[in-house]
Amino acid sequence: MEDIAINIKDVSKKFKIPVNGHTNSLQEKFLNPFRKTEYREFQALKNLSFNVKKGEFFSVIGPNGVGKSTLLKIVSGIYIPDSGTVEVDGKLVPFLELGVGFNPELTAKENVYLNGTILGLTTKELDGYIDEIFEFAELKDFANLSIKNFSSGMSVRLAFSIAIKVKSDILVLDEVLAVGDGEFQKKCFKYFDDIIGQKTILFVSHGLDSVKKYSNRVLWLKEDRTYEIGDPLEMVEKYSKTF
Amino acid sequence: MNKNDIDLYKQFVKTIFKMRYKGSLLGFFWVLLKPFFTFIILFIVFSAVSGRVGNLSSQEYAIYLLSGLIIFTFFNEGITWGLNSIMERSDLIVKINFKREIVVISALTMALINFGINLLIIGIVALVLNVELSLIGFAYIFLICLVMFLGMYGISFFLSIWMVHIRDLAHIMELVLQLMFYASAVFFPVEMIPERFRFIVHYNPIALFIQAVREALINQNIISLKFVLISLVVSIVVVIIGKRYFKKNILKIAEYF
Repeated sequence: MEDIAINIKDVSKKFKIPVNGHTNSLQEKFLNPFRKTEYREFQALKNLSFNVKKGEFFSVIGPNGVGKSTLLKIVSGIYIPDSGTVEVDGKLVPFLELGVGFNPELTAKENVYLNGTILGLTTKELDGYIDEIFEFAELKDFANLSIKNFSSGMSVRLAFSIAIKVKSDILVLDEVLAVGDGEFQKKCFKYFDDIIGQKTILFVSHGLDSVKKYSNRVLWLKEDRTYEIGDPLEMVEKYSKTF
Repeated sequence: MNKNDIDLYKQFVKTIFKMRYKGSLLGFFWVLLKPFFTFIILFIVFSAVSGRVGNLSSQEYAIYLLSGLIIFTFFNEGITWGLNSIMERSDLIVKINFKREIVVISALTMALINFGINLLIIGIVALVLNVELSLIGFAYIFLICLVMFLGMYGISFFLSIWMVHIRDLAHIMELVLQLMFYASAVFFPVEMIPERFRFIVHYNPIALFIQAVREALINQNIISLKFVLISLVVSIVVVIIGKRYFKKNILKIAEYF
């Protein structure tokens, strides 16, 4: 199928959580050599199947702890599912957390190169983008300042400006649609308005208004590990009735 | 390896390098000063007091000690940094998917860079002390360095994964490395070890590497060539097996941090 960007088939994911915290140390094994570590199993996802079409804005809603973040991490290739298959067609960029790898000791410019390459850009590409990135972030005068001296708003603006430069077909978004102050948020929304329809977007949010406003389809993950996929208005309405 | 992987590798090495000496007044000079002072201390303790160490003149002892220190430091840093590499970048690994091996090779590259700088010190000390160094000796040192690099790279594939599962490994390795330091005849002549314990040096690869480097430096002799070549083959095999082990086990690593 050529028009499918993300294809999730029968995916299940279980986590083993040690009852008494992580036993990554030998101490506990020495102290209790015969006791087996007790695990509590946590079923994050169960037999989940869906697909996202190219250019579609696909949202995932549901209460806390139903596996939304796990799903995003599986799609991004950070976790692998216990069973089932995940197919992703195209370059995927996770906006899960902005500024991955930002190092407070380094200057803003050094961080652009570090974070940019982590996101998949080459140094050469970054050489070409560097001015635009600082322009968009409105941080031109701060390029040689350490990030530790940045306000949180400033560094998130910088991070956002780098992330949008990454050539991607699929964006994975976790809550954040807009960052920074009012002025900068406008720019963020404008960016998303421009790419909606162009790029495939997988969006996880508790902000039901933006889900209704932008989505083409919505996946509703429920506490009992069942799910429904459907029209945004209908899904949001049904979900709203559960609380 | 695509273009981005190489750039990412460069960025990681650059960042580690910058971070290691950032904020300190002398910055980069610590790279040179640290091994130099260790050398000075041991040299004074063992040589200035008696004039001769074993059957080495104090000039020879200087080169003897320095080469031992530098090879051992290379081993120590390579293993320690390789071991910690995945753990140290857990922040990235849980958030984004990139080629995880880059983290391991960056850590080892850092050890290699330090080693290169330390070799320079040997050169300088040799010049000052008027000790003649042979070219063939240097070539042999490069071969040994390559063998060690590959070996440590291969071992790091295992260690870095195990480290995530058993955090005690950092402490265990620290002890092992300390033991290795004394068992490698870094700062005393092998002849000073009683005969019946000398097997320790004869079966310890690091000690053999160090001895080979010394012979090459001081007497322009190539010794243990067969051992070095076998080690080269073994190292390559370890890299191949390690890489496969790493590829298989890295997939689930994000769940264990």
